[in-house]
Amino acid sequence: MDYDVDVAIVGGGLSGLSAAITAAKNGLSVIVLERGDYSGSKNVSGGRMYVHSLKRLVGDKFKDAPLELPIKKETFEVYNNGRKTTFSFENKENDNSYSVLRSKFDRWLASEAENSGVAISYSTLVTNVRREDGIMVVESNRGDIRTPLVIESDGASSFVSRYLGLSDIGMNYKMENVKNLLGNNNFQAKNFMLGIKEIVERKAEDSAGEAKTILGLTDGIKGGGFVYTNKNSYSIGLTLKMDSLESNNIKSHEIIEKYRENLGMDGKILEYSAHLIPFYRYDYLPKRYDDNLLVTGDAAGFMLNDGFTIRGMDLAIESGMIAGNAAKKITDSKDYSDTYIYEKMLEDSFVLKDLKAASKISSLFGNERTFNVYPSIISNLIDTMFTVTDSPRENIKNVIRNEIKNNNISYFTVINDLLKVI
Amino acid sequence: MELIKRLGLNKNEVGNESHIAVNTDICINCTDKPCTKVCPAGTYEEDKEKILIVHYERCVECGAALLACPYGALKFHYPEKGISYMYG
Repeated sequence: MDYDVDVAIVGGGLSGLSAAITAAKNGLSVIVLERGDYSGSKNVSGGRMYVHSLKRLVGDKFKDAPLELPIKKETFEVYNNGRKTTFSFENKENDNSYSVLRSKFDRWLASEAENSGVAISYSTLVTNVRREDGIMVVESNRGDIRTPLVIESDGASSFVSRYLGLSDIGMNYKMENVKNLLGNNNFQAKNFMLGIKEIVERKAEDSAGEAKTILGLTDGIKGGGFVYTNKNSYSIGLTLKMDSLESNNIKSHEIIEKYRENLGMDGKILEYSAHLIPFYRYDYLPKRYDDNLLVTGDAAGFMLNDGFTIRGMDLAIESGMIAGNAAKKITDSKDYSDTYIYEKMLEDSFVLKDLKAASKISSLFGNERTFNVYPSIISNLIDTMFTVTDSPRENIKNVIRNEIKNNNISYFTVINDLLKVI
Repeated sequence: MELIKRLGLNKNEVGNESHIAVNTDICINCTDKPCTKVCPAGTYEEDKEKILIVHYERCVECGAALLACPYGALKFHYPEKGISYMYG
């Protein structure tokens, strides 16, 4: 078999670079194909990373990582008709997660990868991937690369899988589903969210970061908001369910303007960005392996929200590292159709375990009650308890009962939803 | 801040050729035009005659429109240069 490299990795973001570093350390020859002029140039994330996987990936170099601030304070804000309910938790010792700006961070990780012997080809747009005589041919604007193993790290839109599933992309207007992987109907609006973000200048100088999760400022669209503190800026943004956005009459770029105004953030805007976010339920995750192919990070749909933590970046790094290790085993076995080994390794890791554990609560984020009914109940309840009038005071139990009744939902539904959280 | 000003904050190297093609024969019969709602960059707009206009130079390459188009009227490939975020 004649080929150029052991592994070609499409996409030089977190999962691609993690796969590349790991595969190179395992002695494989690796090339990363990155569409941007530099790693991170095309990347947007909310901006908070749980750093446990990164620490294992880079070891002592972790102290040099260009992270923003350690998140020491968690705040939840629920807005409803001019009212705001806030819950905060602070732990000065916390440093398990940091705010991060990907343009800077990914560039640094790419230089770490290059130091480990990884070749990165920038400004390289992959235009097609096809199988030929048992190996893969990756076509790009810089020429073809022949390799027995492709690691797909090209983000939520996962074009490599699309190319492989397409017979004739040039003739089709429709973005076809992946025909050769399981779950043909993956590329549907309901499986994605749109992330829209603004970077706003910040003048304060404290060195502790805060992560705010915000409900009730999405104009009735299913979704939520975030505010993360960086060193000299704030990352503010919204994650909006695509199917909800499509069926409403407000434009996404108007929602974020109103959102920033409602938050009262009037600092200078430095950047405006957007990105797709995978939002599969666990049982509907796309297939992550195929002959000659391992899929990592966002392309594999690895994003989870368990009501307390929202994670994508640590899952990206971990799945990349696992793919780099799986690549070594597959290369040694010379059986490039036996990529199931990658799936087994994912199953044994926290990646699939945590995704599965979060799946019950994830179903809450698909339902109307979470975004409209419960914020209203919480606000009304607290509002009533803090208000004194001529009418006799109601017992809190009665207030709760009335609120549930007024919103036309059953106790059973409320308890069922609550159980998903606990 | 106006959308166009917001987009102006970003570095976007726009090529001479559009990387987005729409089949306007299909779009003319699409009443909802979900692409115009989901696109965060206002790339897709309806003119007075209900014809879809594509401002490909505004595109931030997020992919939202690809999921939104119900009729497969959209053909998209990434541009060779395009958006480069400074913060991300």
